[in-house]
Amino acid sequence: MLIAGLDVGSTTVKATVARDGAVQWQDYQRHHTKQAEMVLAFLQRMQAEGGLTPGRDRILLTGSGSGFIAPLVGGKFVQEVVAVAAAVEKLHPQVNFVSEIGGEDMKTLFFAPGGDGKSKQVYMQSACSGGTGTFVEKTARKLQIQTERLAQMRYAGMTLHKISSKCGIFAESDANTLVKSGVPVEEVIASLYEAVVYQNLATLTKGNTPKPQVLLLGGPNLFFKGLQEAWQHHLTKLWAERRIAAPASLPPESLILVPDEALYYACLGCIEIGSGEAPGVGVYPGTEKLKWWIEQGQWEQKAKEGAKGLIRNETDLCEFVKAYGTDQCPAPRQGPNPAREAPVLVGCDFGSTTAKAVVMCGEGELLSSIYVPSNGNPIEDAKALFRSIRERGYQRIAGLALTGYGKDLLRDIIGADVAIVETVAHATAALHYYPDADVICDVGGCDVKIMILRQGTVSDFRLNSQCSSGNGAFLQGVAERYSVPLEQYAEHAFQARAIPSLAMGCGVFLQSDIVNQQRKGWSADEIMASLAAVLPLNVWVYAGQLQNLAAAGRKFVLQGGTHRNLAVVKAQVDFIREKVPDAEIVVHPYSGEAGAIGAALCAADWLKQGAASRFRGFETIESLAYTSTTNEHTTCKWCPVNCKRTFIDVRLAEGRGRAWSKVPLATGWERVISGNSCPKGLLEDVNEMKVVKAKLEEVKDAHPNIAELVRESAFRQPKAAV
Amino acid sequence: MKAPSGSLRLRFSPGRGKAPETIAPEPPATAKPRGELRVGIPRVLNLWSTHQFWIGFLNALGIDGRHIEFSSDTSEEQAREFGKGRGTVDCCYPVKCISGHFGELIANRKRKIDLLFSPMVYSLPSYLNGHVAASLTCPRVMAAPENIKAGFLKEKDVFAEHGIRYAAPLVSLADAPLVPKQLYEGLKDAIAGLTLGETKQATRAGFDALEVFNRAARAKSRAILEQCAREGRPALLVVARPYHMDPGIGHEIETDLQAYGYPVLWAQYLPTDGDLLEWMFRPDIEAGHIRSGLDIADVWPSSYSANTNEILWGAKFAARMPWIACVVRLSSYECGMDQPTYSPVQQIVERSGTLFFSFQDLDSTKPAGSVKIRVETIAHYLQKYAAEIIAKKVAAGPEGCPLAARRE
Repeated sequence: MLIAGLDVGSTTVKATVARDGAVQWQDYQRHHTKQAEMVLAFLQRMQAEGGLTPGRDRILLTGSGSGFIAPLVGGKFVQEVVAVAAAVEKLHPQVNFVSEIGGEDMKTLFFAPGGDGKSKQVYMQSACSGGTGTFVEKTARKLQIQTERLAQMRYAGMTLHKISSKCGIFAESDANTLVKSGVPVEEVIASLYEAVVYQNLATLTKGNTPKPQVLLLGGPNLFFKGLQEAWQHHLTKLWAERRIAAPASLPPESLILVPDEALYYACLGCIEIGSGEAPGVGVYPGTEKLKWWIEQGQWEQKAKEGAKGLIRNETDLCEFVKAYGTDQCPAPRQGPNPAREAPVLVGCDFGSTTAKAVVMCGEGELLSSIYVPSNGNPIEDAKALFRSIRERGYQRIAGLALTGYGKDLLRDIIGADVAIVETVAHATAALHYYPDADVICDVGGCDVKIMILRQGTVSDFRLNSQCSSGNGAFLQGVAERYSVPLEQYAEHAFQARAIPSLAMGCGVFLQSDIVNQQRKGWSADEIMASLAAVLPLNVWVYAGQLQNLAAAGRKFVLQGGTHRNLAVVKAQVDFIREKVPDAEIVVHPYSGEAGAIGAALCAADWLKQGAASRFRGFETIESLAYTSTTNEHTTCKWCPVNCKRTFIDVRLAEGRGRAWSKVPLATGWERVISGNSCPKGLLEDVNEMKVVKAKLEEVKDAHPNIAELVRESAFRQPKAAV
Repeated sequence: MKAPSGSLRLRFSPGRGKAPETIAPEPPATAKPRGELRVGIPRVLNLWSTHQFWIGFLNALGIDGRHIEFSSDTSEEQAREFGKGRGTVDCCYPVKCISGHFGELIANRKRKIDLLFSPMVYSLPSYLNGHVAASLTCPRVMAAPENIKAGFLKEKDVFAEHGIRYAAPLVSLADAPLVPKQLYEGLKDAIAGLTLGETKQATRAGFDALEVFNRAARAKSRAILEQCAREGRPALLVVARPYHMDPGIGHEIETDLQAYGYPVLWAQYLPTDGDLLEWMFRPDIEAGHIRSGLDIADVWPSSYSANTNEILWGAKFAARMPWIACVVRLSSYECGMDQPTYSPVQQIVERSGTLFFSFQDLDSTKPAGSVKIRVETIAHYLQKYAAEIIAKKVAAGPEGCPLAARRE
């Protein structure tokens, strides 16, 4: 009698066929989300090549994808950790610690001597990409590193850089930044391995020390030489720190094992478990049922399983369109305004990817809106915006306010009257149109912001910073994949009568989930609808960490580019209403320009004080002379990322210069720093830090903080007693 | 070895009955002479409000102040270097981070400690004692040392390995007469020749030292408020748990606000002088809402938790104090003690027209980007509304504020 172990994982199918514990046949293949089809191919080969015989032999299945397949092939389902543990106990009685890294999950197993035999502690993580195989492969794909080359890339001896270990999407952008600033890809990959091992040790050890002998299993551990080296490095260090001596019976090179069969341990465990089962359990009936499922069953399943579409019925659609389907973005009166000599207010929003400006008349009416993609040089962005304002015929600027990332850099250079933080700008814009707003939800291309308003101020603010889940970039990516223009997204999504249920949470897994659902036969429209449907959950719960929407308020303002998509608005409205039945939900009429509008309104506030604008004038901005310097002295040294910054030095009569700088600047010049990836990089170096700190200390001395008193003197011997 | 059963249910063994891996070295047979004894104390949790008690107590027992080692402020580096893999299954970061503190104290080679002292504080010496139902600590916080200790004993006795004695007496600091016995029992093996009599004396010395510090801090807060009253300037009040003063727990959010030129008060160290209480709370006492200025029964009848009580009283203080124009609430991720207080604190503060901002779900990493934006946001509104708020609150309050009266 043969026993087959079949491991249906998130990315591959693995199988082993054994007779009396001796392996007869084994193989693994990537299934490219066609799990059932790949299993069928495997079974057919196992019959033809491995001698697996229906009615006689037995089959056991394990892995994340085996739950629905096991009944179809008559096999017994074994939880994957149980399977791996069974194989390890049989094959490696000396092993104390096992790390198995899969495509989309990771597990650790600790074995310790207990009362009878060994006790196990098992930890598993499968909700987030941090620390899994996908985490490495996703970035490698982006860097166009072939799998074969990736497998050979090293860890030992490489300079390491800081890469987010928590999220695959952020790791990818960290890796991008590193590569852009000239870090060799070899070092980037080594840093990824570092992140994987760190994440596994940090989240999956829970008070246990991985002691020798250690077994590394799963595809990534087997194939990536560098990952093995990273484990070697960290474990050896840990053992030295914790004074853990290796058992004398083990030669040093066998303390960390990566068996050739590393991929097949779950299969081997199935076989081991199968051999202890009563006869009749898991007898393999053949492929009939599986074939039926592939050809017919899965489609029936799909119809049964899916959630209701975004639109319940015609009435629902009509009501929604009546409330929200009207022109959400009335175009401001473009072009020269009738009284163009009249003084106007200008609000600019300098973001990281775009720069926007609006022109407003003194009464708060929007006259014009301008948008330019940012080219990374804030001076050029400013020039482009003001050139465009002038071209539209506005001549006199009575008040100018800036917001966004570039507000502090540009304030003095273009002569802005106020620099407003983003939250205040957004809140001002929302309260201008909806004075009773309680919550603003801004979903942009790559960030999610939630602002909770109280007493006309922003009392709470949530920004997704550690996890990329919830942003609108996906919708755009998927629409592009289906060649649907973003403006027609909703039209398509509303066609869906049923939709697949996508998992909330990790954006990396969402991507593969989409492929998976597509495989199950869900159409583009249906997938687009389900993506919109899952977005509110990701925005409010996963990214915003806001469980109790009702406590936040009842009037919700949706803004940001992603809310131009009516499918998203529909999902948001349904989601919010479900939590807050009497909620009033509105989409900001200028959802993309809200920041700039808020800035302009703040300029209007400022104007009331009666001062004259500091605006330098269109001519001056157009002819701003500047030099850019990028060299070893401009490289940021605050952290190991070492951003290659650019110093943009602008000639300004009152410029104070920077005599102390490594790139000295004469008086009559002002410096703007760009190319940094975090706020710290806006400080040039230690010298500037000293200047800033000294000023800060003065302020702190004049305005004491009781906590400072506690920090400085509460943990010391009181002075009098010394 | 038994063949695996193949059952789907996994048996999670909590590691009972495990044989120790190495034979633990004997703990020191007799404790060192007190003059040489070095005591390590993790700078965590309620140490942030009982600090001077312990210094005064140990001093009185003849332990040199230079021999009391506090661990450094919490930081991710500390956790990474010293706490790695010893974490506990606990969502409370102020508890979780303690393994880093233990590890750091144990690893200190330069000033090697003999005793790791991590008291399990059951109740606290709060200024509200006598006016509230009780001054207990969070049960999770109280039990934290035991919880963390497990990570250092699980595989082998790390304390013994380093020749360190571990002492974690349960201590009811709100109940002064109980304290000497508790500390005597907890420390008699660790401190050579300790007697109950001297522990009594030392306990008294501890309370005195704490009182001296607290009084000075309250006086400082009062001086700040007096200056604000004199100059018509706003101050901020932080309502949080004492350990949010730890830069690794509270992430120095209030310091970022201080840099905008606002003095910062903390609810734990507000002035409690009679004249001030009389001025602020007289109307409430007369109306029968409360029995004393330090009574919080009007807003928080289940006043059992010391830190929670002080947070609630801080909110009441802020609502009545004109120069506190803004309250900043700090709270750690999944804090079960804080959650029921969110709305009451916010409503008490907001009803008085005082600005209220909360930073919830603080965890190990400082969310630098969003904190920067939020701090700028608060600074903006303060600059815009502070003068208005102060004027409104002055007008709404009773005549004859003792802070302003001292002007003459």
